Amino acid sequence: MWLTSKIKQILMVMKPGIVTLDYPGQPAPAPAAFRGQPVWDHHKCLGCGGCANHCPARCILTRDVCQELRVMLYDGSRCTYCGRCADVCPEDAITMSNNFQTACDDKNDITTRMELFMLTCQRCGRCYEMEKTNVIDRMELRGFRYDNLESRALIRQTTDTFSPEALAATEHHQRPSR
Amino acid sequence: MRKELEAQLAAQLRDEVVCVEKTDQRTIFIDVKREAIRRAVRIVTEAGGRYMCGVGYDNIARDGTLGMVHTFSMDHNDHFICVRTKAPAIDPVMESITPDLPSAGWSEREFMDMLGMQFTNHPKPKRLVLSDDWPAGIYPLRKEVPYDLVPPGAEDVAYQLDEAPPGTKIVPIGPFHPSLHEPEHFAVYVDGETIKGCDYRGFMTHRGIEKLCQTQVSYNEVPFIAERICGICGSVHATAFSQAVESAGGIKIPRRAEYIRTLMLEIERIHSHLLWLGVAGHLIGFDTVFMQAWRVREQLMWLCERLTGNRKTYGMVLIGGVRRDITPEIAEDIRRVVTNIEKELRVIHRAIEKDSSIHKRTKGVGTITKEDAIAWGLIGPVARARGVDIDARRDHPYAAYNDMKFDVPVLTDCDVWSTLVVRVLETYEAIRIIHQVLDKLPAGPIFVELKDKIPALRHAITTVEAPRGESTHYVITGEDNRPDRWRVRAPTYTNLQAVPLMLLNEQFGDFPIIMGSIDPCFSCTDRVAVIDMASGKARSMTKRELDFMSREQLQRG
Ligand code: SF4
Ligand code: SF4
Repeated sequence: MWLTSKIKQILMVMKPGIVTLDYPGQPAPAPAAFRGQPVWDHHKCLGCGGCANHCPARCILTRDVCQELRVMLYDGSRCTYCGRCADVCPEDAITMSNNFQTACDDKNDITTRMELFMLTCQRCGRCYEMEKTNVIDRMELRGFRYDNLESRALIRQTTDTFSPEALAATEHHQRPSR
Repeated sequence: MRKELEAQLAAQLRDEVVCVEKTDQRTIFIDVKREAIRRAVRIVTEAGGRYMCGVGYDNIARDGTLGMVHTFSMDHNDHFICVRTKAPAIDPVMESITPDLPSAGWSEREFMDMLGMQFTNHPKPKRLVLSDDWPAGIYPLRKEVPYDLVPPGAEDVAYQLDEAPPGTKIVPIGPFHPSLHEPEHFAVYVDGETIKGCDYRGFMTHRGIEKLCQTQVSYNEVPFIAERICGICGSVHATAFSQAVESAGGIKIPRRAEYIRTLMLEIERIHSHLLWLGVAGHLIGFDTVFMQAWRVREQLMWLCERLTGNRKTYGMVLIGGVRRDITPEIAEDIRRVVTNIEKELRVIHRAIEKDSSIHKRTKGVGTITKEDAIAWGLIGPVARARGVDIDARRDHPYAAYNDMKFDVPVLTDCDVWSTLVVRVLETYEAIRIIHQVLDKLPAGPIFVELKDKIPALRHAITTVEAPRGESTHYVITGEDNRPDRWRVRAPTYTNLQAVPLMLLNEQFGDFPIIMGSIDPCFSCTDRVAVIDMASGKARSMTKRELDFMSREQLQRG
């Protein structure tokens, strides 16, 4: 019994032979349907912050520098390539590329930073009041948000009015540590 | 079912039963006063309930109490029974049910740590989850404790191991050790090379996922986080969570989505079983099996890359359905790959089934009788290899399993070898199910938009049969578009509790394979320290030495 098993095992090993790929000598491109690193199209993005609020890894940060300027920062070092951001984006501004070879020695090489010019409503703001149940409203980002882009920390606190104090407070915000 | 139970409870407990209600087709909730919890649990067990897990939750903001739910599965008539009780937060004492049900031990210890509950008469009221230097009086799952609290560490505290039986030496294994990926610490008490007992200290990688998802994210981000609870049964956790929320919120998902979920779960099962087969081979020093099983598995990972966009952590399941559809081309692709896997797996199966060297290492090893397996609530292949005929896919059909025809292999040899055979046979069944899914796949949408808010404070429980046993998820819906409480009970949680029993009177060299046979996420690194208690001298054993010992065991037979 032992011998026949061993013969069978030898055949089992011989038939496939060597299957190891010569990667990275030979490039091994990912298939077309692959979900790799997300890429932002700043022409399409309207700065709604939906992606920032729905990223399970919380690696998209939003910071309102003033009334007109919103910075969106994508920190690729923590991204899990889940594609949730691309799902929720109402403008299809995010595409999942098939880039997975993202090892690098500088974090900033895989970081995307967009500075978006935001229009402010010059009138009564009633339209926003009436749209309590639209998709963007459900995405929960109302008002101004001040995530700390320097220490890449998230402050899930929005204010309805722009407050320079809240902005200043983010300067010193530290992630909790020992 | 509900009526009979209610009658029995009313007869024996009278007005200590607060209410008995049936929330959906299969779930019965029994609310009892805390004095009656142990008796109520006994009644449910006598009615045929198999203990699944305990769920503690913080309800202080609403009525100043801490809640505790003991959940049971009725395997023969497809019911879940949840016995709920509560105790005021200022005096959170209730009676332990562990003396009756050993598998409840961890659940109760967990909520002593996490919620500050107290269980009287618990046989081993030690810390389970929290680290030894976690300050007393801070209970992380209580709502008032922030999710990112980092208390200062302390140097001079250590876990007190159980008293070693007389005449034995202690061999500490871990926190990093040869058969597990995750850091876990076993203190094995040996007499010569025979194992006489063991104590366990784990939860070193507790990531606070439950707390995170209860405080930070919203409903539809949780499936992605749930998927990362485990690197192998990702879809299982995502599906179980989604099903629990769907059941609590009364969301009906399209049939096509349920079929695709079934497909993903079965693909995952094939993947997991092949992976386990390989690692099991490796643990007994038979690397040919390891190489070949993993070679066969690789094509499945490539398939998943084409199908879902990733080799693992598929990201397919959301509350409301699935994210990607199955096109006819990809369906063909799946069929081709699984047919090929079946062919190659049969080759491996034939080559090892009569191999006496594998038999010597696995037959009669890690034995535990059927009665013990039932008493400890073992689940999954570990239970099915010990004659316990349970499988959540058949007993509590979810997704599209009620349309599928499959066998549940059950063996009665009660050892590691039969676990191995059960898992190989299950792989064939999984392939059979995949073909059926593709044959019967109904047309239609794959996702429903969540229009209404999910109502708050509804309780729901689901189980999903993961490759290693059933995963149970318990959800209490919350007000802020996220769960108020989400409890995950992975299969290893149950099976690991019975490991001391499996190890009893086995050889020390068999430790890796016995440990590995319950598939608790392996690691291939590191060393074991042997401490001679008499002289107090420590000597380190490298992985090579342990492998060597393991192989010596093989030759000795
Ligand atoms: S792919 Fe996922 S993890 Fe990465 S940024 Fe998008 S949502 Fe976040
Ligand atoms: S969801 Fe889309 S439009 Fe909104 S901020 Fe993100 S990328 Fe821009």
